[in-house]
Amino acid sequence: MMGEYRNKLSKKDITKLGIISTAYQTGFNYERMQAGGFTASMIPSFKKIYGDNKEEISKAMTNNMDFINTEPHMGTFLMGLIVSLEEAGEDRNLIKNLKVGLFGPLAGLGDAIFWFTLLPISAGICSSLAQEGSIVGPILYMLIWFIAWYSRVWFARFGYSLGVNAISTIRKNAGAITKAAGILGVMVVGGLIPSYVSINILSSIPLAKGSSLSIQKDFFDKILPNLLPLGFVFFTYWLLKNKRVNIVLLIVSIILVSILCSALGIL
Amino acid sequence: MEITLSQGLLLALMTFICGIDAVWEAFFIFRPIVVCFFTGIILGDVQLGLAAGAVCELTYVGLTTVGGTVPPNPLVAGVMTTVLAYTSGVPVATALGLSLPFALLMQYINIFFNSTFSGVMSKLDDYAAKGETGPFVRTITWMGLVVALSYAIVIFLSAYAIQEPISAFVNSFPAWLVHGFEVAGGLLPGVGLGLLLRIMLKTENVGYLFIGFLIASFLPLQNVLPIAIAGAAVAIIGYVNDKNKIIPGDTGGDNDGGI
Repeated sequence: MMGEYRNKLSKKDITKLGIISTAYQTGFNYERMQAGGFTASMIPSFKKIYGDNKEEISKAMTNNMDFINTEPHMGTFLMGLIVSLEEAGEDRNLIKNLKVGLFGPLAGLGDAIFWFTLLPISAGICSSLAQEGSIVGPILYMLIWFIAWYSRVWFARFGYSLGVNAISTIRKNAGAITKAAGILGVMVVGGLIPSYVSINILSSIPLAKGSSLSIQKDFFDKILPNLLPLGFVFFTYWLLKNKRVNIVLLIVSIILVSILCSALGIL
Repeated sequence: MEITLSQGLLLALMTFICGIDAVWEAFFIFRPIVVCFFTGIILGDVQLGLAAGAVCELTYVGLTTVGGTVPPNPLVAGVMTTVLAYTSGVPVATALGLSLPFALLMQYINIFFNSTFSGVMSKLDDYAAKGETGPFVRTITWMGLVVALSYAIVIFLSAYAIQEPISAFVNSFPAWLVHGFEVAGGLLPGVGLGLLLRIMLKTENVGYLFIGFLIASFLPLQNVLPIAIAGAAVAIIGYVNDKNKIIPGDTGGDNDGGI
């Protein structure tokens, strides 16, 4: 495709990408989670690839503004992969689908490594040292996590080289791979709905003799668990696609309705 | 012992720096064992900081931010455990319990920011659409600074200025308001996913969305990795079929089923 963009990024640029990614959880919010900081981390790489071409930088940025939530250390793997594909001028739909398909599994892997293994181990060892009154405790803790911090550079390099090596394969079968990535992405999004969207109706219908029927447990959960989150995602999808509602208005309404429903004891 | 004004300001500065890391989750200097140590140094009682850090860190190991929930804040818990043990002379385990209202207050503030920052995303969309990288990065930087500054203010007020009123304020805080923001936290990701589907969902792949949803709803999974593997399996099957279709018969067509 756009072969002229090849080989713009050096190893130093990927190291820089990993270092800049330190700040990528800045601007975290419930709507799209890490999307803003994730995009911001890759801006220097995009600038390097596209130079003064504002239009291409804009397209690359916009392509990354979707919902994303992954583990902070390993998120750089995706950044490395994305910039390698941007550099090669690959189809942005493919890039997006790959990203969406991978961030969830990567979060699971990263959480298992850093939050469920390294954190308890380092906390256990260093706390017992601190308990004995040794300043080695907190200092060792900072050292361990400083090394863990640097792993984001390795993950960025790994993602980048993986992307570079895969490019010729992708080129040969672009159509089929884009379609396959689309299947993976959409299936993972379906799997993300129950873990990220939650609606729990607290209201119940009073029956005779002091018993009552819980609308959530006895009705909705009996039909299909997570039916309401699924319905809600399709509702916002419909509002955004067919009704073209203003996103800020939608968010403000959701916050206000949430507080109202909480005050009334409905949700 | 009393906290002096300069100690209060130093605590606020330290919390500001560690607060940035609490947003980033990068260097882990927002964890209790580290902030208690720093607090101990500022208060001139390193041993107390170490003892508080050990107890507080182990307590907060189980309370990690996973999947978008906000547990009581470990940074504020660490500083306040040390401060309360220092000022009132109670054992660190007791101080840990007393620090809970302050850690909860910071939790509420974070939930508030996580909800309201959602409204900034469409501004970032505008900057991205125009390729305005400067304003884009500046807006995100401001969001980070506002959060870090809130950490610093909470600690300055709690540790130095108005400890008692804050504790009372948190204990009398209307539960429905906090819960309302928690409800919003459960709904707002639906907007993000809706936006994503607006681009990704096509008639030919909508079926896979339901398959992924059903797997996640009915199997007790730790994360979405098994769904991604199932998705990859389906994608590979489709990919192989498509690839074979692209080469029409000229190589003999081994997938003609022997007819």
